[in-house]
Amino acid sequence: MVVYVEGVGMTKIDRHYDYSLKDLAANAAFAAIEQAGGVDGIDYLVFSSSLSSLQDNQLDTASYLATSLGLRGIKALNVEAGEASGLAAISVAKSLLESHQADKVLVIGAEKLNEFVSSKVYKQLQMLYDGDTKSFYNIGFAGDAAILMRLYMDTYNVDRELMSYWPALMHSNAKENPYAMLNFAIKPDKVAKSQILADPITLLDSYPLGDGAAAIVLSNKDMSSSPLAKISAIESSTGYGSIELSEDPLLFDSLSEAFRRISNIADTSNLDFIEIHDSFTITAMIILETLGLANRGKAAELVSTGYFSPGGKGPLANPSGGLKARGHPLGATGVYQIAESSLQVANKFPGVKANNAKKGLVVSLNGLGSSSYVALVEGV
Amino acid sequence: MDLSISRFWRKKEIIYKLNGAKCKSCGKVHYPPKNACPYCGSRELELVELPRRGKLISYTTIYAIPEGARHQSPIYYGLIDLGVTKITAELTDIVNANSLKKDMEVEATLRKTQEDRDAGLIYYVLKFRPVLVQK
Repeated sequence: MVVYVEGVGMTKIDRHYDYSLKDLAANAAFAAIEQAGGVDGIDYLVFSSSLSSLQDNQLDTASYLATSLGLRGIKALNVEAGEASGLAAISVAKSLLESHQADKVLVIGAEKLNEFVSSKVYKQLQMLYDGDTKSFYNIGFAGDAAILMRLYMDTYNVDRELMSYWPALMHSNAKENPYAMLNFAIKPDKVAKSQILADPITLLDSYPLGDGAAAIVLSNKDMSSSPLAKISAIESSTGYGSIELSEDPLLFDSLSEAFRRISNIADTSNLDFIEIHDSFTITAMIILETLGLANRGKAAELVSTGYFSPGGKGPLANPSGGLKARGHPLGATGVYQIAESSLQVANKFPGVKANNAKKGLVVSLNGLGSSSYVALVEGV
Repeated sequence: MDLSISRFWRKKEIIYKLNGAKCKSCGKVHYPPKNACPYCGSRELELVELPRRGKLISYTTIYAIPEGARHQSPIYYGLIDLGVTKITAELTDIVNANSLKKDMEVEATLRKTQEDRDAGLIYYVLKFRPVLVQK
């Protein structure tokens, strides 16, 4: 079944020291509600956040948030799936609409990665990876991705400089996006020279620690008035999420399965744009190859030729600037991706536009693919 | 995840003896042991002690260090092929980052990972160090 996006709201991703999680959530939610024509009919809040319960020492946040937003009485629940939380929340909202448990759902994703010093946040972000092994070590958030990046470059004989075109493309796109945290251009050669987080991953291969919130109002067909877009399908799958367990870590098994599932129920060809989960340069390369948008070991080269750039032959990749440059406030990211994609197909995105865009694919995942979510957003 | 005595006690066979699980159905070995085989779903698993020596498949030098370990900076971390299975572990006794090489031989050794200053506890885990070449 198809669900409709009635309204979207986003805050600029930034270091929002002056605003709490609820302030940011309210900012995004009120904008989405206004675009959707008011609060009438909204009967469910699905709230997505990864670290906020831990950071704020708060449980049942969705219910407290509902009352805080003046929506006391509606139904509410939290959804948490690590970095994939936002798209998981939208997937749950879609199911609620399809099963007629809800008529109109407000989905809010909010996260603050600047509440504490970075070393504390690195420790919190380590929670994205399998605690069975990782919790006994002090590897932070980039260790596993770094091992994977070196494995990729060794296996396919790809050099560091070729990997740097992706961050440069993301910055170039983000420059036009008023909601992006890093809205400035960089040259590819700057990537390798930036601060090393976990060799070979540098600061510019990684996402900035940002605070942000995004919200969307979703409805089923009966309630829909003048929607921006429709979400034709969402699928997901669990996977190894671990380089040591996976027999082929250079593909994400969960994404491969989720994409196979969505391709069975919807037409995923002729994509005008994609919004993918480029938490690191390496994650972007593996996603492009898992989706079959690039041959194995060739994604970096294809990116460098301009194939995914505005005006390129392929689908436009991350017109928002991606996690890399728009930013990645964990639990909010999937909601940003859907909000941006809805604006793209409505020809209202205030940044790099995919020409005459009718269809886009959104990819969100946690860690190295413990779960993957894919959604197809289309014009109405 | 915060470390605690009960967590270490419960996992002592796994983290100190390096016990993995072998699936009686498909024969594959994984580490650390799960409640069912991650490859075929069988619940028929037996604990097997893994080799304490292996080869480095990939590695990294980490400078973005989490709280509580900044004095250990940089942290070396690797993907290790133990033959029967692969594991990831911190690497130790590394002279400098440039000495890390693919296919380098490494072996398990007991090392400190974190301290709980309030309780006065020191937690140990197995890390892997380069195998010294015999002359």
